[in-house]
Amino acid sequence: MSQNQEKQTSLRIGIDLLDSLMTLAGELVLSRNQLLQGISSGDSGATEFSSQRIDMITSQLQETVMRTRMQPLANTFNKYTRVVRDISVDLGKNIELEVEGRDVELDKTIIESINFPLEEIIKNAAEHGIESPEARAEQGKNKHGKIKILAFHDAGQVNINISDDGLGLDLDKISEIAVSKGVVSEKDLSMMTPEKKLKLIFEAGFSMSSDDDSSRGNGLDKVLKQIESIGGVIDISSKYLKGTEIIIKLPLTLAIIPSQIITLENQKYAIPQVNLGELIRIPVHEIKEKINVVGNAPVLRLRGELLPLVDLADLLGIEKKYRDPVTGEELPDRRKNIADRRSKKFFSGKQGEINLKENQRKNSDRRMSSESAINIAVVSSGTFKFCIIVKELNDSEEIVVKPLGRLLKDCTAFAGATIMGDGKAALILDIANLAQMAELSSVAKITKDYEQNDADLLNDKKDADSLLCFSNAENEYFAMPLEAVERIERIKGSSIEYAGGKRIVQYRGGTLPLYELSEIFDAAVMPEREIYEVIVLKLNGFEAGLMVSPPVDSVEVRAEIDKETLKQNGLKGSAIINEKTTLVIDPKEITGIFLKEMA
Amino acid sequence: MRVQKISEKNEICTFMVGDAVCGIDLLKISEINKNFEITSVPQSKEHIKGIINLRGKIVSILDLGKKLGLKDTEIDEKSRNIIVNSKNEDIGFVVERICDVVSAQQSLIEAPPSNLGKISGIHFTGVLKTENRLIGILDIESLLSN
Repeated sequence: MSQNQEKQTSLRIGIDLLDSLMTLAGELVLSRNQLLQGISSGDSGATEFSSQRIDMITSQLQETVMRTRMQPLANTFNKYTRVVRDISVDLGKNIELEVEGRDVELDKTIIESINFPLEEIIKNAAEHGIESPEARAEQGKNKHGKIKILAFHDAGQVNINISDDGLGLDLDKISEIAVSKGVVSEKDLSMMTPEKKLKLIFEAGFSMSSDDDSSRGNGLDKVLKQIESIGGVIDISSKYLKGTEIIIKLPLTLAIIPSQIITLENQKYAIPQVNLGELIRIPVHEIKEKINVVGNAPVLRLRGELLPLVDLADLLGIEKKYRDPVTGEELPDRRKNIADRRSKKFFSGKQGEINLKENQRKNSDRRMSSESAINIAVVSSGTFKFCIIVKELNDSEEIVVKPLGRLLKDCTAFAGATIMGDGKAALILDIANLAQMAELSSVAKITKDYEQNDADLLNDKKDADSLLCFSNAENEYFAMPLEAVERIERIKGSSIEYAGGKRIVQYRGGTLPLYELSEIFDAAVMPEREIYEVIVLKLNGFEAGLMVSPPVDSVEVRAEIDKETLKQNGLKGSAIINEKTTLVIDPKEITGIFLKEMA
Repeated sequence: MRVQKISEKNEICTFMVGDAVCGIDLLKISEINKNFEITSVPQSKEHIKGIINLRGKIVSILDLGKKLGLKDTEIDEKSRNIIVNSKNEDIGFVVERICDVVSAQQSLIEAPPSNLGKISGIHFTGVLKTENRLIGILDIESLLSN
């Protein structure tokens, strides 16, 4: 089956969209003229005004152009009825295909890429999922097997669910096959949750057929790769003998992705937000505690996990330079080890000695300067979670993804390129391929052992909480579990609007409702500020912003939460953090409060 | 014998690559610029200098000298990027110096030698003899394949 179907070279779009584009183009011209005039006459008011207009028009233009590329899924889905019917006839089964969500629209490129995976999944469901009419009758099931495709929008993503009421997946059989085909080791298997075990069917090398013919490859492996390549995720749930459900989530558009910009040896690179977990800075004095060594590989201790640490510059073969603090010149950095000599080391089996080469250090111990604090980005590619050392962390930006030319297609470390605000081209990192390049599968196996056995780590996992701390009015301190925090933004007081009695701000192409802490808790009203720190939370699929005062800081604490003294609705309780009484917010409870507000 | 049939009379843009003078059919050239804000691409082949932003498009830039077996081309004021279009994609070459545009008559183009100075003759379609020099005419598709 060919994965590359013919790409369309034209498409239909509604005239209303074209009209919108014409209008926007016209407005852009007007604003540009105003801008030019403002600049040449030195009128800063006019310049500022027109630049604001251009800002708004550009966003609208971007959105409208994106809409022209949206096509309904109906065209794709309609083909599958035939596919299912053919299989039914061939295999003597009775299968009905139900489709809901034909009107859901997706970017043209995503639709082209989704065809093969969907078709493969549906074929699987029809061929292996749904049983013969006789077998179904024996189980007391309806003679007609049903496959249902459901597509819907949810929080900036498109969900496509394919479910069937067939045989379902036999977890034990899958586990057995996975081990026998070498897809996973017994040990790893024993530590997997049922959901993870089910996902083994997507691994290359896995096959339900008993023959050793590995040349056929695993169709589902290709499905997973293709879905991940367009920025989507796939999940599977199943009840043996009852049925299976495959859930695919896709981004709305391929071309523009939010990303984190980092600097590595004087060049900027982008890490797609979808791969980014968190950003960490380790000050010099914490290195020996936070960075350990497993076998030969440095790892980061993070809340009870040991994450492989990858020096990106080394992995990519980029020459590292550092600035000599005395002379200011750039010199090659020959430091080879990230871990401190005193870092905790784990050995993989044999009693051996790690030969940590002592570097040639210059006069001052370079490690002592603040230049040697380490910046780390925790990334994951679905299968692997690991850390990248970066020289500098820059802003998070929405970037336009552009393909690399054909001469660079072997550079698998990069998923594409983009153009930065300063006009320079920057490369986008392909985290999944980087994980492969760093051969993380072997490191992962070793670290799993140690995570289970290291008492300190287990303690870490148990007690440490990552909290985000912030203030409200003076002397009022609050904290909230970091995992509930989507983002932290700064917004200007002047950009806050009131619509229908609610406070909102225009945010990322939509509107974000804003709440002051005093509106949710028994707290003082915050004094008006020019700039507010806003904590963006994602609760039950929608985003809301909490207006708070700085400093906004994240801490890892093993604090006792007092659940009684200062308890209120929406709070877990209070704790003493950094010697201050801090009210700890319960994200689930305040979701309830927000939902009531919105009703 | 790979003497390429070009049109009766055509213009060849000539430039220096190391000590040799090379040329490309002028019609194959999209543009020539001094855009040297090159972002290097780690792990790419040695002769690829990196990528640039060409009015919103990402264009790969090759070091022509390096590709032909010479050493790295150092970029200075005289260096230029020659942008060609191959199979629907814009690709650029860095050359040390652009020389004249030479009008060539088909009849004066001979088969390529096995070497042009230190450069292997593999990527040439022919040589043009002028009064004072020998111009190696490059085969772009051959350069960009493999």
